[in-house]
Amino acid sequence: MSKRARKKQLNRPAGAGPASDGTTAQPQGPATADQSGLATSPKAASSAAGPATPEPIDLPVDLDDDVPVYDHDLLTVEPEPVSERELRALMKDWRRGRATRHLWDVIQDGYVALLAFVMIGGMIFSVVWRAQGIAAECTTASCQTGRTLLPWAALFGTLAVTLAVARLFGPIVASASEGFWLMDAPVRRSRLLSGRLAAVLTVSAVVSAVFGGLVAALTGSSFAEAGIWAAASALGAAGLTAFSAAEQGADRHWTVRVLTWLAGALGLAALTAVVAVAAGWVSLGIDLKLGVQLAGIVGGVGLLLLVACGVLAFVRLDGMRRARMMSGGSLVSGMQGAMFAMDVGLMRDILVERDAMERGHVRPTRGRGLGVQALVWRDLQRLIRFPKSLLLLVVGLVVPYAVGALGLAAFSPFISGMVLMTALVPLLGSLRVLSRTKGLARAFPFSTQDIRRAVMTVPAVLALIWAGLAIPAFAGLGSGMQHMPILDAVIHAALTGVAGLLAAVRWVTAKPADYGAPMMQTGMGAMPPGLMLNLFRGIDVMAGVTGPLLLGWSPWISVVIAVIIFFLLQGGMSMEDAQAMQEEQKKQMAELKGETAAAKGSAQKTRIPPPSRR
Amino acid sequence: MAKQRTPVLKVSKLKKSYGPVTIVNDFSLEVWPGEAVAITGRNGAGKSTILRCLVGADKIDDGTIEVCGEKMRESSPQIRRDLATVIDDLDFFPDLSVVEHLDLLARAHGLPDADVAVDDILHQVQLVPQSGQLPGTLSSGQRRRLALATAFVRPRQLLILDEPEQRLDVEGVQWLADRLVEERQKGLAIVMASHEPMLVERVATRTVRIGSARGAEAGAA
Repeated sequence: MSKRARKKQLNRPAGAGPASDGTTAQPQGPATADQSGLATSPKAASSAAGPATPEPIDLPVDLDDDVPVYDHDLLTVEPEPVSERELRALMKDWRRGRATRHLWDVIQDGYVALLAFVMIGGMIFSVVWRAQGIAAECTTASCQTGRTLLPWAALFGTLAVTLAVARLFGPIVASASEGFWLMDAPVRRSRLLSGRLAAVLTVSAVVSAVFGGLVAALTGSSFAEAGIWAAASALGAAGLTAFSAAEQGADRHWTVRVLTWLAGALGLAALTAVVAVAAGWVSLGIDLKLGVQLAGIVGGVGLLLLVACGVLAFVRLDGMRRARMMSGGSLVSGMQGAMFAMDVGLMRDILVERDAMERGHVRPTRGRGLGVQALVWRDLQRLIRFPKSLLLLVVGLVVPYAVGALGLAAFSPFISGMVLMTALVPLLGSLRVLSRTKGLARAFPFSTQDIRRAVMTVPAVLALIWAGLAIPAFAGLGSGMQHMPILDAVIHAALTGVAGLLAAVRWVTAKPADYGAPMMQTGMGAMPPGLMLNLFRGIDVMAGVTGPLLLGWSPWISVVIAVIIFFLLQGGMSMEDAQAMQEEQKKQMAELKGETAAAKGSAQKTRIPPPSRR
Repeated sequence: MAKQRTPVLKVSKLKKSYGPVTIVNDFSLEVWPGEAVAITGRNGAGKSTILRCLVGADKIDDGTIEVCGEKMRESSPQIRRDLATVIDDLDFFPDLSVVEHLDLLARAHGLPDADVAVDDILHQVQLVPQSGQLPGTLSSGQRRRLALATAFVRPRQLLILDEPEQRLDVEGVQWLADRLVEERQKGLAIVMASHEPMLVERVATRTVRIGSARGAEAGAA
């Protein structure tokens, strides 16, 4: 059909016979017409079906002769080869075309971030400089060995985290739109995704290099040695990321999982060795130079892995499953959203939900107990089913010993408490779910306080056990630690346990920022009042309870503060109830006043004047 | 059965606004045992808002709500015991399976034969094959069935449902209608919002039509 003929058909009333001349209809109805000339409104369709009076069609566009018309049958047309390079260029063009700000604008507006970056950089440099000075005084064998082992703990920790993150996200990800629109097309995925693979490898290398180098510098290594540690971390992390990408291409996960556990176990072993050596429990004669040489070997292995697995990953990009990439992409966007809202709790919820989705199925266990006890028993059964949550608690137990061994016993309640808080958060899953929405809590026939107390029971018992096992650390067990009377150690450990528990409860139950509330004017623009506070949730409680201990005040002050915080936290929504009751009372008072005033008014109206004396 | 002296649900002059827009105004309702009230009306008329107020999920601006003679307080254990709800804010534990959710609820409500009650409702909602599945892996229809099961597995005086037919297949809606009729005949009070004419016709003993769309003042017919 020619363009002219198509235009004529569009401009004629629907339902009429074939156009024989150039007559046009007056557009007035709500119907629309697409470029094929078919009416899409039911009204127009009905009028087209029968011999009824033709109805005019409202044309959305006025086609002129320059509009190209696709004149091929899509069922039989032979597609031409697609150029992935052109597709990428097209996407880039679209993205740039739709950007409302240029990079320079963002940098100019981001002066706060730049200043913060400079300040933090300066602080880090200063700390490293001081650490170098302190390290010069480290001459004993135990101190030297501790210095040698700490970068190893950091290296293995970095590798474990890199593997875990790579497995969680993909590491190759694709957004939903890319997955839907691009992956469905007959394109070579390796050409589309090769840049992404390179970006992932670069990011993992840079972040790991910074961390590895920093830890080495802080432990007193020379700048050349710190450079070797940074290179080892970078190459090791990049190599393992390439390995993860290659395994993603083969749709295999267990290998990455096993390596993650292995790296984590090595990191924990190194950390334990640091504590044991620093505390004087064992002596390991490890030469500092040997450690650096070994780091160089790790870097070399990492480089080999990077090259071999990088090539393999690139080859496998073509066969990479779209669903897996899109799943990682949706996780990235979810995390981004939570990060912009500074809602760390939401980020954790997303990860937990994803973990559950991956698991999919469990062997059901019959519950125990009736009433509120059922909640406690179910928490215990959950712990037996997923003992992984306990692992962090066990690992966290090393911290008070490490802090003591490093001569920072005065700060141990706060530092150890923070670690305990982190370890307890996964154990408060029930409390999290019952706090974030009221729907499930409403289904249980208990008050909010009862529910909270029930789901806090198992974590509280675990926190107390943790505190009990940490008493020797507070007492200064070992030759390299500061000693404290046993009663004081018991009190400090117990308060650390309580602070960790309360901080975890606060972290889990804190409400997200309310974007419906009036905003605050800040240097970074308008912000809801709770947004920044969200970042410090948990830490505030920890500072409140352990602060008096750090300042050397009486522990009873901490006890009193802990009790107050406990009542506030376990009350939860009862605060809202109290507010509601207060409002209700105000309303009743106002009604009562209104009634009294009305009564007075009517009384005045009906008052009978005293009889006049004559 | 002797007639109860107080209604299971008593709503007086309920008012609810979002900002300057009044969604519900001067809404009153009494529901007695064995009565099923269907709230109908077009989208945006305020049906869900009324139900959210009735269960305490939303704070009301004016008026009073009483459940079994007790003034509505969302965290009151007595009201939580008497009131079963299926509205859109129900959440699930991500690490508990379908059957474990029901078991936990039945035990929390002190059911002596929790296992039997759970098995029975699991069969009724046809979630036996999914009993070991975690909620995140259920389809939207299966999640809806689980939500309904959480309301039926526990003792209750009043059942509040917001469009319970949503995402259910034809067979599921049929089952729901049968179950609600049976519950109503046993003396349960039901308040539901629904767009399903068959469900309303079969279950409801009274229909309240919310007349106006959002933006205008709404009231009970």
